[in-house]
Amino acid sequence: MNATVTRWQLISPEPEAAASFYQRLFGWTVTQGNHLGYREVKSGGTRGIDGGIWPAPAGQPGFVQLFVEVPDLDLCLESAVRLGAKVLVPRTVLPDGDAMAILLDPTGVSLGVCTLAPRPA
Amino acid sequence: MDLRARLSAELERRQKANPRYSLRAFARNLGTHHTTLLRLLRQGRRLTPAMTRRLGQRLGLTHAQIAGAIAHEQDAAVLSLLPHSSFRSDSRWLAMMTGLPLDEVNITLQRLLSGRRLTMHTALTWTREGT
Repeated sequence: MNATVTRWQLISPEPEAAASFYQRLFGWTVTQGNHLGYREVKSGGTRGIDGGIWPAPAGQPGFVQLFVEVPDLDLCLESAVRLGAKVLVPRTVLPDGDAMAILLDPTGVSLGVCTLAPRPA
Repeated sequence: MDLRARLSAELERRQKANPRYSLRAFARNLGTHHTTLLRLLRQGRRLTPAMTRRLGQRLGLTHAQIAGAIAHEQDAAVLSLLPHSSFRSDSRWLAMMTGLPLDEVNITLQRLLSGRRLTMHTALTWTREGT
């Protein structure tokens, strides 16, 4: 399976404060011009990958989650479950057309898997 | 936890113990106005997090129970909009319609998705599950 980490996500109980911190620390750009108001983070460099910031429920600790782009999301979920993972969030099609799911791997680490909708050229 | 159900059950319990116990007395005990309580119980008035905390504390609920009651209200508010004729799969629209902050809407969506109570089938089609 061709699977590549294409995105990271910071789950923060204080997403606005986190966005401000990273903007000031690294000069990253944070925008929310999408249907979910998701804070998309661009580092502006030519190396590395971009990410995003999502709110965590109050009282829950923050953490970083990786997103792996896969060619077939359903097949990936089937394989992951067969290998001992749990599906925390089932296949979900986001308003921009990307599909994603959240897994908990057999060692207790959560990660996202996704397929991206075609982007206009 | 459904705070409205809890309030109704508590009122019923008190009225069973004392048939003359009134809604006004219950409201007074909860530190709220009886018309506010009436609207909450019978007319589905929105329960704000602040109101839920205040009433929850008066009922002797734990912090976890109060947090659960706030989540229950937010879940219900978002789910109630799915059949809305002008529904938009857009967190800002949901925030505007529910009065919740944008981040609270997204936390609610995440909770509903992981609880299998909401499915986002396509970019535009969301359905309520399991109810």
